[in-house]
Amino acid sequence: MATANPIPDETSVADQAAADLVVFVTAMPAEQFKGLLINLEAAFPAGSTLVASQNPLPADVATHLRIIQTPQANPLWMFKPGDFIEAAQCGSDYGTKAILMLGPGADSLGTPALRDLADTVLSVSIDLAVPYYALAPHAGLINSAILYPLTRAVFASRVRFPLPIDLGLSPRMAQRLAGVAQRIAASGQDDSLVWPVNEAVAAGFIVDQVDAGSRTMPQPSDQDVNSILALVTGSLFADIEEKAALWQRPRRAPPIRKATTEAPDSDGTADVARMVAAFRLATDNLQEIWSLVLPPNSLLMLKRCSVLDATEFRMPDNLWARIVYDFLIAYRLRTMNRGHLLGALIPLYLAWVAGHINTIASGTPAERHIEAVAAAFEADKPYLVARWRWPDRFNS
Amino acid sequence: MQTVVSTTTQPTGPNLAALPTYSEDIWHHMSDALHQSIYRVLTLLIAVLPGILAFFVALVIFAVAGAAISWILRRCLTWVKFDLRIARKGGTDWAPTTSPTELLARVSFWTCVLLGLIIGVSAFDTSYSTGTALPISLLPYLTHAVGAALLLVAGILIARFLARSVLISAVNAQLQYARFLSLGVKWLVLVLTAAMVLDHLEVGGNIVELAFGILFGGIVLTLSLAVGLGSRDLVSRSLESRVEHNNERAHIPEEPAGAGSSIRHF
Repeated sequence: MATANPIPDETSVADQAAADLVVFVTAMPAEQFKGLLINLEAAFPAGSTLVASQNPLPADVATHLRIIQTPQANPLWMFKPGDFIEAAQCGSDYGTKAILMLGPGADSLGTPALRDLADTVLSVSIDLAVPYYALAPHAGLINSAILYPLTRAVFASRVRFPLPIDLGLSPRMAQRLAGVAQRIAASGQDDSLVWPVNEAVAAGFIVDQVDAGSRTMPQPSDQDVNSILALVTGSLFADIEEKAALWQRPRRAPPIRKATTEAPDSDGTADVARMVAAFRLATDNLQEIWSLVLPPNSLLMLKRCSVLDATEFRMPDNLWARIVYDFLIAYRLRTMNRGHLLGALIPLYLAWVAGHINTIASGTPAERHIEAVAAAFEADKPYLVARWRWPDRFNS
Repeated sequence: MQTVVSTTTQPTGPNLAALPTYSEDIWHHMSDALHQSIYRVLTLLIAVLPGILAFFVALVIFAVAGAAISWILRRCLTWVKFDLRIARKGGTDWAPTTSPTELLARVSFWTCVLLGLIIGVSAFDTSYSTGTALPISLLPYLTHAVGAALLLVAGILIARFLARSVLISAVNAQLQYARFLSLGVKWLVLVLTAAMVLDHLEVGGNIVELAFGILFGGIVLTLSLAVGLGSRDLVSRSLESRVEHNNERAHIPEEPAGAGSSIRHF
């Protein structure tokens, strides 16, 4: 556990009384925190809920919620390892039955979503409650292209958002994540991500999904796709490599609640031509690098895709699955510098995005296409396992 | 009538009977010089040959010993399940070619080879310096040559790494001249490496330094002018946006910066 106690010693006896639920709120702008407090007050009864916040309490807010201060931090777009340590510490100190972690922008979550997240852990004895966000078709594309299909195939988990910004945790799940976070912090990688769903599957804990409706998603301060993709995908690849002994065993995905909230309609246009042009430029210049990672038949299919017109551009689902798996293998084998490897993946990802947008524009619902992609990843898992064990053979 | 009989008399110039003697002397001296130089070279070779032989024998013996040690180490570590113990501790699944056992085995082999190389070079130098009166010792130049070889290898690796970095970054930045830029960076580093190697070998002296300085400085100046004059608007816009970004760092943006695009990658 954390070596420093984040709870200030001057808390009163009343504040130190046990609480059924601890809501851990990470750093966010003051306006968001004010709105969140209003929603929390409406969602949870007074007395049984404790709010542990990295934000100073606004002076003009009167609330019946118990609020304690944790060490302040700069707002980030994702949970830091230290957040999990603090949340687990709070849960342990107050003997709670459930911990709710809320990230920046949580004020946009409705009261029912907040209540469902907490009740899933409190009443139904789920260890990890993960929200299902109703995002626009052009949002959360890295999650749709890589995170969800890869997590579903490798860890047999149908959670739609494996890297959520809000979580409902049981005490043991919180301790598990805190342990992982401690290890990450000890190795000095404070920017690393913790993958709650993967950890829950590894520990054999129960995971469920909760309809959270629409939510304002915080964006990284550096919104360049190069840095976001490298950070998120690299972190997932590293986590998969670490848990290799677990996911190579055959496992069946447990049932999970399906979302009922309809995703909003597309909120604008996207520059498909630019993405296809970027892919074509990469096809002309990165063949030598891709040939170190991808087998000849994948390279041939990519060459065929590069001559398609921008309006008709599609990347076949099984090709995309093979590409991601081959890059995962290359990441493990250190075929080349990992930064170079993830940089070489970016044009291929943009090609997938272009194909996805064209598919949506042709009338296919976004979720149906994403489910098809995830199914292709599941179907090709034997290819991943075979290449993981015998890396020198390109299986056709 | 008198018959005039002309008689040929012997000329009165140099004595031709002495010419064969001079040419014999010249040939004799020449063959003497050749014999002496052949003798000197053969003597040198005979003096150096045992050292060369000792070098190769030492290298071969230590390479064989290294292979044997590496094999024994690999078998022992596999028997005690060394990789599994390390994986349990560190939580990492190792690739077969980069497992701890394989790495240790390779390190042990190459350590033995390096030891053999050092012993061989030392034996060669001892043999050379005792067997000849020449004041020049080959060892310092050999070490320079080895250092130059290492410099060359390092330079080539760095050139390839930087070229690949520039290529990928330029392609992702959608620069049409990505490959040209990558080649330029690669050759810049290679030219720098070549100059360092020649300087290390003390070849060419000031000419190499001067030529390299002119070439490298010219290339850098050309690139600076091209980038500075050709993209001054872009650079100034980039600097302005960086200053604005630093001022807004505490605020988490919720909408993408690009106007008109609805794509959000996260």
